[in-house]
Amino acid sequence: MGVATTTERKLTVLDPRGYPPKVDARGMAPALETLQGKKLFLVDIGFENSNTFMAQLHGWFEDHEPGIQTEVVRWRDQHNPDPELCERVAAEGDAAIIGVGT
Amino acid sequence: MATAVGQKLTVLNPEGYPPKVDATGMAPALETLQGKRLFLVDVGFENSNNFMAQLQGWFAEHEPGIRTEVVRMRDQHQPDPELYGRIAAEGDAAIIGVGT
Amino acid sequence: MESRYGIPTVGVHVHVFARLVESTVRTNGMPRARQAFVPAPMFNQPPAVLRGYVEGDDAVHGGPFMERVFGLLTKPLADEDLRGSGWDRSTPRLLEPDTEANLHELFRQNHWTDYLPIVLPTEERVEAMLAGTSRSPDEVVGKHRPTVGMEVWESTVEKVAVNAVMAGAAPEHFPVILALCSSGDTGRQSSMSSMGNMVVVNGPIRNEIGMNSGIGAMGPYNFANSAIGRAFGIASQNLQGGSVPGLSYGGSQGCNLSYNCCTFAENEERSPFQPYHVYRGHRPEESTVSVFYVWGSVWSEHLREHWHEKLVAMMSGLEPLEGALFVLDPIVAREFCAKGLDSQERIAEWVFENVRIPARRYWDHIMLNMVREQVEGGVEPWASLSQAEPDELVPLFQQFGVNVVVAGGETNGHFSIFQGAQMPPAFRSDPNVPLVAPIDPWR
Repeated sequence: MGVATTTERKLTVLDPRGYPPKVDARGMAPALETLQGKKLFLVDIGFENSNTFMAQLHGWFEDHEPGIQTEVVRWRDQHNPDPELCERVAAEGDAAIIGVGT
Repeated sequence: MATAVGQKLTVLNPEGYPPKVDATGMAPALETLQGKRLFLVDVGFENSNNFMAQLQGWFAEHEPGIRTEVVRMRDQHQPDPELYGRIAAEGDAAIIGVGT
Repeated sequence: MESRYGIPTVGVHVHVFARLVESTVRTNGMPRARQAFVPAPMFNQPPAVLRGYVEGDDAVHGGPFMERVFGLLTKPLADEDLRGSGWDRSTPRLLEPDTEANLHELFRQNHWTDYLPIVLPTEERVEAMLAGTSRSPDEVVGKHRPTVGMEVWESTVEKVAVNAVMAGAAPEHFPVILALCSSGDTGRQSSMSSMGNMVVVNGPIRNEIGMNSGIGAMGPYNFANSAIGRAFGIASQNLQGGSVPGLSYGGSQGCNLSYNCCTFAENEERSPFQPYHVYRGHRPEESTVSVFYVWGSVWSEHLREHWHEKLVAMMSGLEPLEGALFVLDPIVAREFCAKGLDSQERIAEWVFENVRIPARRYWDHIMLNMVREQVEGGVEPWASLSQAEPDELVPLFQQFGVNVVVAGGETNGHFSIFQGAQMPPAFRSDPNVPLVAPIDPWR
């Protein structure tokens, strides 16, 4: 019966979670009015078969949307930022598709 | 929490039920091994045969008056009543091994 | 690319990561980042299948995939999306008081356990655990994350103590657990490859706290081995922000080694080799802990007459780049010495020289992308390996990919070869901490 009493008693315990970092707001880039006549970078992030996927995507644009210019580029290392590539996409492109996250 | 930690509890024993242990009597010792026949039983684990061969060699060199014969147990995980029957009929003592 | 460079960008992912992606973009301050999903698998699929993904439906949201891509890039955004969403957060010290049964249920519901019973971390128990170290409860211990690219959480001595209590550890185990949590390693790596851990303790603390390096060292036969490894796993998942399948864990099959991270002490007394931590540059009198990331293992007994052929066969099916970890019973360690392989270095050299596979198979591997940059940058040995003819036999492992530890009680000449290695600094949550974590500063 002593156990029953213990079971019903309320305990105070500590939260086991660590401390998460602060989340900084990051604004999205405004949408384009149209993709026609624009340049779209298809960014192969580097995981297996991402290059093949981007090649297929490139082929799809050529077949279905010849008015949209596309170029497949490769992210240098999928686990790290690639500022050079980002600069180039920003300088020469209007939008990007990046992947494949897997 | 101090009360709960210090409090004595009665709990159940988690162990299963062991089998009854039946008494198993040992065989009487021999007065001497001289002139006797000793079976060297290779139980079948790796290298037991080589060990028994070495043991037999030792007897041949050091105790030629003790006859030895190496025999092999049929299966190291099961009794071998035929072999036991033969040893009882023809032998006086046995060395069995190697448990490994 | 979006926030810093102002380029509208669609991220494409396989559908099984939908929850992970949602969580990641939210904690990156961009909760409605543009995302589109294709089906899994992506790996090992021919181009025609991938074209089918492009022409098919979005695997999470439905509707044509390309229609979604166009919509994401051209549909005007709300002001809040242009601003993003940031916030500060923390975790409380105490939970709301509740009954024992309710708290156990709460811990399970929150994915804070390994689903085996835990010890509830009351203040009294946590305080008792803190007696196992001289360090202050509010001192920062380490950084934690499930894998590269995910947000980095922090822990304090008290938070580690909470998790150590939960795992059933004793105060004398606490310095080892603190060292593990300071190591930049995790006992709950989120990789979809289902890797588990192996934790090897070296130095005097092994015997001081009664760790097992002998019979059954890698099994459930020792309090310290079991509790320390379990504590590392539970602490990892809670201190890094979770390890929940589909959300913060992606291992397709999972790994049973994760229950106690396969924690044991090296059998330094019976080993003919220098202890692992000495091999890594520590002094013998230092106590250390080393975390390996491992997948499965192959095993055998003794180096017999055809040991050369056998070892090559055992290793040839392993994956390149992932490393090989020999765990040798002292009997086998001595047999290696008798063959002239009397140090970790010599065993590694032997493997480099003798375990070779055709280059075509070497490069037919999921991890190829991990060294692509080195291949193209001319970094050796990857650059030369990439030039090998398809049938040329190339080393499966470089010397640095082979490690050796000794454990076992000499009941037979057992040895295991695990696929795995210690994590390179770039992949750890803190690349500046040493590969082998010192325990003594945490006493």
